[in-house]
Amino acid sequence: MMKNAESTTSEYHVASFVAYPILAQLNEVKQAIADIEGTDIHATSDEGKIVFTIEGNSYRDIGTKMDIIRVHKGLINLSPVYHQILDESDNEKIEEQYTELKK
Amino acid sequence: MTINRREFIKANAIAAAAAVAGVSIPAVASNLITSSDITKLKWDKAPCRFCGTGCSVNVGVMDGKVVATHGDIKSPVNKGLNCVKGYFLSKIMYGKDRLTTPLLRMTNGKYDKEGEFAPVSWDQAFNVMAEKAKDALKKDGPEALGMFGSGQWTVQEGYAAVKLMKAGFRTNNIDPNARHCMASAVGGFMRTFGIDEPMGCYDDLEAADAFVLWGSNMAEMHPILWTRLTDRRLSSPHVKVAVLSTFEHRSFDLADNGMIFTPQTDLAILNYIANYIIKTDRVNKEFVSKHTNFRLGETDIGYGLRPEHPLEQAAKNNGKTAGSSTQIDFEEYAEFVSTYTVEYVAKLSGVPEHKLEALAELYADPKIKVTSFWTMGFNQHTRGVWANNLVYNIHLLTGKISTPGNSPFSLTGQPSACGTAREVGTFSHRLPADMVVKNPKHRAIAEKIWDLPEGTVPPKPGYHAALQNRMLKDGKLNFYWVQCNNNMQAAANINEEGYPGYRNPKNFIVVSDPYPTVTAQAADLILPTAMWVEKEGVYGNAERRTQSWYQMVEAPQGAKSDLWQLVEFSKRFNIEDVWPEELIAKKPNVRGKTLFDVLYKDASVGKFSLDEIPEDRLNDDARDFGFYIQKGLFEEYASFGRGHAHDLAPYDTYHKERGLRWPVVNGKETKWRFKEGSDPYVKAGTGWDFYGHKDGRAKIFALPYEPAAESPDEEYDLWLSTGRVLEHWHSGSMTQRVPELYKAMPDALVYMHPDDAKKRGMRRGDLVKLISRRGEVQTRVETRGRNKPPIGLVFMPWFDASRLVNKVTLDATDPLSKQTDFKKCAIKIVKV
Amino acid sequence: MKSFNLAVIASLLVLAVSPIMYSLNANAADKETVNSVATLRDATPIDVQKEPNRIPQVINKDIKKTRNYPMQPPVIPHTIRSYEVNKYNNKCMSCHSRQRTEKSQAPMVSVTHFMNRDGNFLAEISPRRYFCNQCHVTQLDAKPLVENTFTDMHSLMKAKAKSKEH
Repeated sequence: MMKNAESTTSEYHVASFVAYPILAQLNEVKQAIADIEGTDIHATSDEGKIVFTIEGNSYRDIGTKMDIIRVHKGLINLSPVYHQILDESDNEKIEEQYTELKK
Repeated sequence: MTINRREFIKANAIAAAAAVAGVSIPAVASNLITSSDITKLKWDKAPCRFCGTGCSVNVGVMDGKVVATHGDIKSPVNKGLNCVKGYFLSKIMYGKDRLTTPLLRMTNGKYDKEGEFAPVSWDQAFNVMAEKAKDALKKDGPEALGMFGSGQWTVQEGYAAVKLMKAGFRTNNIDPNARHCMASAVGGFMRTFGIDEPMGCYDDLEAADAFVLWGSNMAEMHPILWTRLTDRRLSSPHVKVAVLSTFEHRSFDLADNGMIFTPQTDLAILNYIANYIIKTDRVNKEFVSKHTNFRLGETDIGYGLRPEHPLEQAAKNNGKTAGSSTQIDFEEYAEFVSTYTVEYVAKLSGVPEHKLEALAELYADPKIKVTSFWTMGFNQHTRGVWANNLVYNIHLLTGKISTPGNSPFSLTGQPSACGTAREVGTFSHRLPADMVVKNPKHRAIAEKIWDLPEGTVPPKPGYHAALQNRMLKDGKLNFYWVQCNNNMQAAANINEEGYPGYRNPKNFIVVSDPYPTVTAQAADLILPTAMWVEKEGVYGNAERRTQSWYQMVEAPQGAKSDLWQLVEFSKRFNIEDVWPEELIAKKPNVRGKTLFDVLYKDASVGKFSLDEIPEDRLNDDARDFGFYIQKGLFEEYASFGRGHAHDLAPYDTYHKERGLRWPVVNGKETKWRFKEGSDPYVKAGTGWDFYGHKDGRAKIFALPYEPAAESPDEEYDLWLSTGRVLEHWHSGSMTQRVPELYKAMPDALVYMHPDDAKKRGMRRGDLVKLISRRGEVQTRVETRGRNKPPIGLVFMPWFDASRLVNKVTLDATDPLSKQTDFKKCAIKIVKV
Repeated sequence: MKSFNLAVIASLLVLAVSPIMYSLNANAADKETVNSVATLRDATPIDVQKEPNRIPQVINKDIKKTRNYPMQPPVIPHTIRSYEVNKYNNKCMSCHSRQRTEKSQAPMVSVTHFMNRDGNFLAEISPRRYFCNQCHVTQLDAKPLVENTFTDMHSLMKAKAKSKEH
C-alpha cells in the first residue's frame, strides 16, 4: 500500500505516541520531539509521559520521524498508540464521507 | 477544507494516546472549541452590498476578518432573509486578486499609455493624476475633465464627488452609472410629480390585492421583495399576480396572468389600459378633477444617438423641445387614448385580448388595490420616461396611489442609486435634493450652503454617460476618473465608443476598483479601492430607506476607499489652479488654499471632531483627515433637503436604526408620500397633495407608442435583450470571485427558443456568434434554461467578463433621460 | 573634474542605451502584462475573444458540501433539471418536506423555513420561503477563475487556539 514518492503522495498520515522519558531529561526530550517537522505535543502526564502526534505523508515518513525520536538518549520507551491514513487523492469525496460520518 | 477531516482523525489519535498515558484530553484537541474568547464573534449591522431592495444583514467579524453574515431579523425590509448573493457577502472581499497598489501604465519608469501596468505609490499616482488634470484644464478648460461615478457609492462619496467636480473643478461632467438604470424613472417622476422617488413603500406588498410586474423579473432581481409578494399571494387566495415581459422568466412561476409582448409595445398596452378605464367608466372623477392636470407630450423625439445618425436626422423633435408638453383637458386625453383598442393592441403586442382585458380590470376595478412594479424593462427603454409617465397615468385615473397597496412602485436596481446618485444629484444636470444646474435659483442655494461665490457652479449640463464615452472617443474628454463601476463592460457599444474612447491617446483614464475589472484593464491608472464594510458609509434603497454602517474590518494594506481618494486628491489643487481670478476675487479668503480646505476641511464638512466617533470603532478615513468626515459630509448634504420634503434624520440616528424612510420629520419616517395623514408636507384638507408641482397636481401625459430604435430585419433577424441573473451582481466583479456563486453560473449563455436554434442548425451547448452592426460576441446556446424567450428574441446576461455582450448592443437612449436601451437591438446568430 | 565628466558621460551613455534595450523587451511584454490584470478574462485583450468553454455539467453527486458558516443555505448537490417550483407545485418539497424525508432520506428543510415574517412558527413551510432557488443553487463542475481567501471561523479559531498554546 506504500506509495513510492517521498513528499508527493496524496496521503495524510497521523500517528500518536506516548513517550516515557527519564524525568530529569523531560525538557530535552520534549524539545527533540518539537524539533521534528510535523509533531505536536498535546499533554504531559504527572509522571512525565508525553502524549504527542506525528503527521506525515507516508508510512516511511512517519517511520523515519519515529526513528529519530526513538534513539534519543533520554527516552526510556516510545509506544506507538494509533496510526490512521487518509487517501486525499479524491479530496472532495473524503471530505464528504467525513461529514457523513459525523452524523 | 480537508483540514476538518484531518482534524477529526488527529483528534482521535490524540484521544487514544492520552487514554493510554492516563492524561485528560486537552480541550484544543477536541472538535468542539468552546473557550469563549476564542469563539467570540463581533456582530454588526450593514446594508447588503447588492441590489436596491436594501436588505439589512448582520456581519460577523473575527480577528479582523468577516467570517459570516445573516439576514437581519430586525430589519423590516427582509426580516432575516437574504437571497443567495446576500448569503455569500462574507466572501466578496476575499478574492485573491484584490488590488493593493496603484498600477500605472509605464515604460522605463515613466507614464506611457501603451506601456505595461507597474506598481507605483499613492503619491506617484496622485502626482500623475494631478499633472494630467491640470494639463487638461489648461488646454481645454473644465469641460475636458470628467468623472463616472456610481449608484454603489456611499452617500458621502457621491456628495464629496459632486462638490469636487461642480464646485472645485467647476465641471458638470460627472454622471453615475445610475444613468444606465434609473434615469428614465427619475424623468418620469419629475414630469408627473415634480419630485423624485416612489410615493409608496414596501409595506404595499402586504396590503395589495393585485401585483403587476412590468418587464421586471423580481424573482431574480429583487428576490426578497419577491418573497414578500409570494407570501402575500400564497397566503391570500384572492390576490392576483400579472407578469409582463418580452420573454418568460422565473417571475412567471407565480403569475396568474403571464403575458409575453413584442418589445416596445408596453407603451401601447399602457395606453390601452387607460382607454379601458375610460371606456368602462371607472375613472375616479373626483380624484382626477381635484388632483391632476392633462398634458399632451411632444413626440418623434429621436433616439439619443449621435447627431449624424439617420434616425436623428429624421427625428422632428429631438432638440430642446423633446420634453415639452401642452395643456389639454380630459376629453382630449380620452380621445387620444381611444385609438388603443384591445384589438389593435393585441395585434401590435402579441398578447391575447382576454389577457389584456384581465390585466386592465386589475386597474379599473375600484375594489382592487393594485401595486405596479417595474425596473429595467421600463427604464432601459428609448421611451423610458414615457413608459414611466404612462404607468402613473393609470394609477392617477383611478386614484390608486399613495395609499397602502395602491402603488405605482418604481424599483431601483442599485443599492444606493436612490440614496447617492439621485438624492445627492451626482448627475451631469443635477444638484442635491432634486435641484438642477440649469436653474439659477438652485445654483444660488448650492453656493450658499457651500459658502462659495456666485457663479461657482457651472450652468450648462455636462456630458451624461453615453455622451461621456462618445466625447472620450472624440478626444474632447481628456481626464476621466471612473469610480465604483465597471463601465467598459456595462456600457453599450463597446467597439465603436467605449473601448476606442478609453484607449484614445489624448485621454488619461483613472479607474478605482477593489478588483481588476475589464474597465481597469482599459485604464491608464488603476487605484486599489476599499469596499463595503472596509469603510463607514450610508446607502439609500428603493423605498427611500436610508441606512448606515460602521467600518468593521481593515481594507487590504494599500487599498483606500473612494472617499479617501477623492478627498486626498483635492489636496493637490490650489484654488488658483482651478478657479479663474474673477471668481477668486469674489471670495478672497480662498486665496492660497487648496480644494481640500475650501470644499472639505474649512467647510461645514469639517466641523465634527474625531471625538464624535465611538472609541471602539474603526474609521480609517476620518482619522486620516483629522475630522469625522462622513458625518460632516452627510450633515452638510442633508441641509439641502431638510424642510424641502427630502428631510433626513440626524446622522447618528441612522447608526442606531435599521434605516428610516425620508422625509423624516420630527423623528418620524414617512411611509406614503403625497397623502394627508402620512406625509407631513401635505397641506391639511387636501387629501392628496402632489406638492412637487406648484399647483399640487400630478400630470397625466398623453404619449403614443413609437417603435424601437433598431428592430429585427432580414439580415439581423433577432431581438437581443440583455440583463442580469440571480446569482451575479451586475458585471460579476464581486460575485464571480465567490466560488459558490461562480459555480452556480460560471458563464453567460444565450437563451434561445429551441425552434430558433433548430432553424439555425444549432443545439444546446453549441458555440455561436451573436453579431450586430457594431460587433460580435461568442457564447454557447442554452435552450432549456430558466429564461424561455419566444421565437424571434434571445436573452444574454452581461455578468461575464469574458463574454462581453455589450460589444453588440446599441447605445440608443431615451432622449429625455439619456438612459441607454439595453433591452432592444437587432442581431443575428450564427454557428461558429 | 575630468574623471567626473567621464563618469557622467559614461552613465549618460548607459542610460541612453538601456531604455532602448528595455523597451524592445517591454513592447513584447506590453500586451501580456497589461492583460495580466484581466484575471476574469484569462489575460485576453478586450478586443479579442477567446473561445468560450463548453457548458459545464451540474454536479450531481448528492454529497453535501461544508457550509462556510452555520447560517449559510446549503448548495444543492444534485441536478434540478425539470424540477418545477411554481404556484401549482413545488417539486423540491416532494423530497424535502417534513412528511417526505423518511421515504426520500433527503434532508428536511430547516426549522427556520417554518417561521413567518414575524418570527412565529407555522404548521407548514412559510410562503416567504416557497421559491427555494432564491437561496439554494446548484453547482456546476467549473473551476473558479480566481481563488477566494475567505477563512471560515472554525479555521480561524483553531489558529487562535494554537497560537495561544505557544
